[in-house]
Formats: sequence, C-alpha cells, structure tokens
Amino acid sequence: MPLAHGGLPSILPADVMAELKETATKLCAPGKGFLAADESAGPWLRAGHAEAAKIPDVIENRAAYRSLCFSTPGLSEHISGVILHWETLFQDDGLGKAMVDIIQGNGMIAGIKVDKGYNKKGMWGTLVGPLGHPEVATVGLDDLQDRCKKAYEKGARFAKWRNVLQLDPAKGLPSDLAIADTVHTLARYASICQSEGLVPIVEPEIVPNGNHDIFYCAQMTEKVLAAQFKALADHHIYLEGAVLKPNMVKNGLAGPKAYPETIATLTCQTLLRTVPPAVPGIFFLSGETALNEDNEEEATINLSTMNKLFSGKLPWHLSFSYGKALQKTCVVTWLGKDENKEAAQKALLNRAKANSQAVFGKYQKGSCASVGTDGNVMQAAGPY
Amino acid sequence: MEVFVAARPQVVPVQAPAGPSGLAGSRPQRGNAALTGALAAVAAGVAGASARRRGTITAAAKCRGARIARKAWRAYRNCHGGEHLSPERKRQLEAICEKIATPGKGITATDEGPGTIGDRFAKVGVENTEEHRRVYRQMLYETPGVNNYLSAAILDPETLHQKDDEGVLFPRALEQRGIICGVKPHLKVYELPGALGDTVMQGLDSLAMRLREYKEAGAKFAKWRSPLQISRYSPTKAAIEANMRDLARFALICQEEGLVPMVEPDIIMKGDHDLETAVAVNVEVQTNLYKAMLEHGVYMEGALLKTNLVNPGLSCDTEYMVEEIAVANLMTLRRVTPVAIKGVNFLSGGQSLEQAAARLNALNKVKQVKGSCPWNLSFSWSWALQAPLLRLCEGKGGKLPLKEMSELYLKELAIASAAAQGKYEERESSLR
Repeated sequence: MPLAHGGLPSILPADVMAELKETATKLCAPGKGFLAADESAGPWLRAGHAEAAKIPDVIENRAAYRSLCFSTPGLSEHISGVILHWETLFQDDGLGKAMVDIIQGNGMIAGIKVDKGYNKKGMWGTLVGPLGHPEVATVGLDDLQDRCKKAYEKGARFAKWRNVLQLDPAKGLPSDLAIADTVHTLARYASICQSEGLVPIVEPEIVPNGNHDIFYCAQMTEKVLAAQFKALADHHIYLEGAVLKPNMVKNGLAGPKAYPETIATLTCQTLLRTVPPAVPGIFFLSGETALNEDNEEEATINLSTMNKLFSGKLPWHLSFSYGKALQKTCVVTWLGKDENKEAAQKALLNRAKANSQAVFGKYQKGSCASVGTDGNVMQAAGPY
Repeated sequence: MEVFVAARPQVVPVQAPAGPSGLAGSRPQRGNAALTGALAAVAAGVAGASARRRGTITAAAKCRGARIARKAWRAYRNCHGGEHLSPERKRQLEAICEKIATPGKGITATDEGPGTIGDRFAKVGVENTEEHRRVYRQMLYETPGVNNYLSAAILDPETLHQKDDEGVLFPRALEQRGIICGVKPHLKVYELPGALGDTVMQGLDSLAMRLREYKEAGAKFAKWRSPLQISRYSPTKAAIEANMRDLARFALICQEEGLVPMVEPDIIMKGDHDLETAVAVNVEVQTNLYKAMLEHGVYMEGALLKTNLVNPGLSCDTEYMVEEIAVANLMTLRRVTPVAIKGVNFLSGGQSLEQAAARLNALNKVKQVKGSCPWNLSFSWSWALQAPLLRLCEGKGGKLPLKEMSELYLKELAIASAAAQGKYEERESSLR
C-alpha cells in the first residue's frame, strides 16, 4: 500500500521501515533509557575517581566490568538499550558467553557506536575553543555502510554517532561551518544506518566547557537543533525510526550556575521549538560536570525536573542515555574486584531505577545512594 | 505558565574580567559596556598574543582580533528566539495565540480586497458597492451565535474602518463578541522573471508602519499568504527559500509591532501531482519555513500557522480515501511542525464546504487515535463558507438575502466546528 507511511516517499523497503519503527518503539518504552557503555578506553577511567583510574585498562578487565553490568538482574526494567563499543560487540565474557547474548538474554537491545572520533587538529580556519583545540569533524562515514551491515548481523539493532560542538560567545563558537558540518555528517550517518536496519541515535553534543551562561547555551542549542532537523529532512531520514541524543541546556562549567528549574525550562523550551513530534524519543547525554558536582545526581535530578514540570506537554519520550552518570558509583563499588560484583550490580541497578523514576518525573533528590563528589579528579575531555 | 518562558534576567551587567569571557548573565544591548569591553579584550588579547610572538602589534593582528569579535556578535545574535521582546509582550502574543487556538473554534477569512470580492459579487449579479461589502461582512461577523464557532476573523484593511448598523467599528464589534480581529496587510504578487510560475509576495517594505495603523484600528494579528504551485518546474528551491524568508521577516516585524503573525505558506491544489509528491513538497516548504523563523529570532510560542491541507492535485488521476489523506496530513505535521506553535488553521483553497469539512474531520479523528498531536487543528475558511452564501444571491435581482445567508452561515459554522473536533457526521449534513 503506497501510503503505509503517510505518503512519505519510500526511500527504504517497507519491511526495513517497519523494523526500524518497531525497534524505536521498544527503545522508547515507558520509563526506560540507555546505558551508554561505549567508552573507548576502560569505562572506569571516565568515572573521575582517583582510585578507579588505577585499574589496569586491559581487555580482560573491560570484559569483566561490562559483563558484570550487562548481566545485572532486573536491569531491563529500566534499560531498554545498551550502547556498545565495537570491541564489545564482538567480545565474549570470561566464561565464553557472547556479550550480545548476555544483553539480549537479559531483555535489552544491543546498540553500537559507529563513529571513529575526531582529530584534534580540527577543521582548518576554525578557532580554538574551551576544549583546547579548534572545532572538529567526526570521521567514520567511509566504511559505515559495511560496518552497519556487520553490526546488524552480529545482533545490534541501533547505532550511535557523536559530533562535538564547543561554545565560546567571545569567539562566535559554534561557527556556522562547524554546525553545517555536524548536521550534515549526522544526517549522512543516520541515512546509512537506516538503510541497514539500525535505528540511529543522532547526537550533536554541545559540550559544557567554558564560562558562558545558560542563555547562550539555549540559543546555540536551538540553532544547532533547528539546523539538524532541517538536514534530517533534506536527507530523507525516517524520523519515526530515529532518536535524538542532545545535551541538556546548561550553564558553562565555569559560568554562572543555573537552577534545575531553569535548566529544565530552557531545555524543554528549546526542544519544543525544534524537535518534531514524529521523533519517538529524546535521550539526554549526561556529559561533564564541575568538580564540585555529583554527576549522577545532577543528571537524574535534571531529567526528573523536566518530566515533572512539563508532564503531559511533551510529545516525545524524554529519557536518558547515560554513561558516566549511570556507572560512577558502580565503578567505585567494583574497583576491579570480583567479590564486589553483586554490590556493584546493585549500585548500577539503583541508579538505573532512579533515572527510570526521573523519566516519570518522580525522582526524590538523594533517594539513590551515590558516591557523590568523592575523589573527583580533573579530566581531560575527549571522546569516550 | 510563568515558569515556561525563562527570560534572560534584566540585571546590571557584571563587569567582565579582562581576557576571553562569557556574557555573565547580563542582557547585552547594542553598545553594552561589558560585552564591548569583553570583546575588545579578546581582540586585544589575540592581537597581543601574536604581537608577543612577533614582537610588534601589526595591523594584521589588530584586524584579526576585530574579525573574531565580529564573528562573536554575528553568532550571538542569530537564532535569539524573540529575545528582544519584553516578557509582557511575549505574554500578550501568547495569550492571543491561545485564544485563537481554542478547540472547536476557527477563523472566518473575510480578507478579500474590494476587487476580489467584487468578482464574487459580479458572478451572482450583486453590485460591488462599499455598502454591499459592509452589510455582507456585518452578517459574517454579527449573525447571532457565530461567536460559538469563531475564535477569530481576518479582515481586509478597508473593513477595519467600516462600522456596523449601530455605528460600532467592526474590530470593536468583533471584540465585543469575543472574536479576535486580524488583518491581511496589502500584498502584491510578483512573478519571478524566468521562473516559470514561481512568485514572491511584495509588501514587507512599508509593513511596520502599516501594521501600526492596523493595530490602532483594533487588529490583534496579521496574516501573510505566500502561494506556491507544484508543477514540473516549481516550486524551485530559490523560490521556496525566498518566500519562507519573507514569511519569517513578516513574523518578526509583526511581533515587534505587537501583532501575532499568522504565516500562510499555501501550496495550491492546481496540478496533477499525486499525494506523495504533495507530501514531499510540503515537507520541503515547511522545514524551510521553520528554520527561517528560528534563525530570524521569531518568538515561536507567539506565532500561528495557516496552511493548506496536504492534498493530491486537482487533476490527479489517483483516487485517495479521506482517511489516507488524513493520515498523510497528520504524519506530515508531526514530521515538521514545532510543538511551540499552538495551532494550525487550514485554508479551504477552493474545496467545497463538504470536502473541506470531511478532510478536517478525518484529520481530527485520526489525531485522536494516533495521539501525539499537540496542536489545535482547525479551519480558516473563506471560499468554503462563502460560496454557498453567495449562491443564495442568484436570481434575487442584485439584492443580498441577508437573513437567508445568516441562517445558512450558522449551519455551516456548526459543521466547521464539528469538523475541528472530529465530530462531523457527514450523513447529518443539513445544508439542503
């Protein structure tokens, strides 16, 4: 039937579109979000904790830590999808069981990070931003078609690609050039993914580094998202089979601190102006936080405030895709020791549950135990 | 809701420290000392850094610093979302939008200029006098009961200054009945040379001044129609961008003058294109429109959309069911329309009342079933409502049978209102 998709010109075969929609619907199940487990190096190195940084970053430890996380009993009540690094997609745990099987057996969907990061030399002619390098272009399109096919065959059903934009009002960052490159690249990636049956997570991250205020972030996020959805339309992306992973609208790490209500209001205002309802779900990244902030708690509180203040007014599933903000307490509980396994799993489950409550707008501040700001160390920002 | 629009605090600018800095919570105006100081510091810093390397401050280094500062201003002022409007102005605009987007109510579009309405009168043997135009419009606004179905009316500038039989100016008379008065500013269509049918609308140049007059006369919103036509050659990308940019600028000027802008991209029904082509063109046009509006800094929560239903061309061979068209419309809306816009009023564009009502009704029914459709979907009809009324004039020797027209008009509006809620039962059409 030619109008199966409301008259949208058929870019893809009907069965592919149907599968994309089905996967997207499962990913956007009420109360559920993503575990972003796609860190390039050992995930504990990103936890910002001095003791955790001492754990050797070897393949066995990564397998042990990740299989611990993915096999957490009951995790699928709060986590619909797990984003994996390429290594993990083809990895087995210590007992020879495939990671993908652990995830699927535990009731979740496997996703795959398919970008190849960026060169910090950046795009020639752009200015150096708060990250300490010029504006950058994420690479990985060249063999993406092939890699998506392989990932699908291995069992992945969604993918993720992250572009990075910096804010600096005094230098006019993000520049129009960086925005144009970002939205185009993400649209190309989304197009290729969908052709291979993978639901693309579109992630135009605006990093919080800098001393700008929250209003500048709101404005630039709006500008970026407006351009992003125009690009997705131009590239014929099937919006019902894609999801968005944006930054929350927040103040710069060194800028004047905004209240959770302001963060919630400006973030939702920006999304309501730019994201069409056809997108089934928006999954926030947690991103960097200041040294004196509890990364996990902040991410949960902010999400909960949004869903509470705007209850009934948001046409998309508004959820989380957290890496650091789900795993920090878990990592610090585990600290590389097998005997801590159950306690670590419990920590992960608790934080996942807290974020699930946040999706319903019902999280009570402080009700989930967290390691907090203990042991925070300065982190070099970068791809993870 | 108060917390929804978080305005930038209007505080005394915090003195920026020397060197690269952010905007420290202040609202920069042109010539804001803190921002200018900060940007000058950046420029100096850049110039200074390269000067320190080379040992001299060259002209080139100074220029580079100034270029960076200029980049900062340009980036900063883009996409500002109506930041220049006061919180009170924003609330006023939003309040008008909310009233116009009342569920179950729609708009009577009566903005035909004297020339156009003259053609319609001529076809049914009525003389085109100012008095005839006056009493005809009076019937459209003041028939008892119409205010149950109408949230707004769009007037031609001439009608803004006309009075009803009691001597009350029409904008006031409408206001008394709870119907919001809007205006269609004078526009002139201009064919783009060499573009095989693409047009733009002229009328931006003196718009601000004219809007001020319209506002004083009692208008609360203004509507601008940009027609586009689907053919083998059109609409071209250039024509789409030009028209949508004009609509964005129109919206910006309206809001500055205190009027809600009703932007109307109208892809007319003429042509033999199928529904899928119509969908593709509508998506292209509307994504261009919203990006232009956002980039110009239009306050989206204080703007409204009037547009065509996505329809196959009039001479298209394929027959589509009403439900198919409804689903195509709903999905297109959901794929492109910002949630911040409160309502969409569909034009009739030559459809009969039955056809327009059936399609609007099907759309509202599908909306209830499929969910996730946050906009009020209603009508803004001229031809669909007025064609049957004018037909009543035939054979009446040039007179306007106002009482008969009133009765029919009220029945039509009841149908329109039902369609706007998905409650229109076609079998009950009691027009004849």
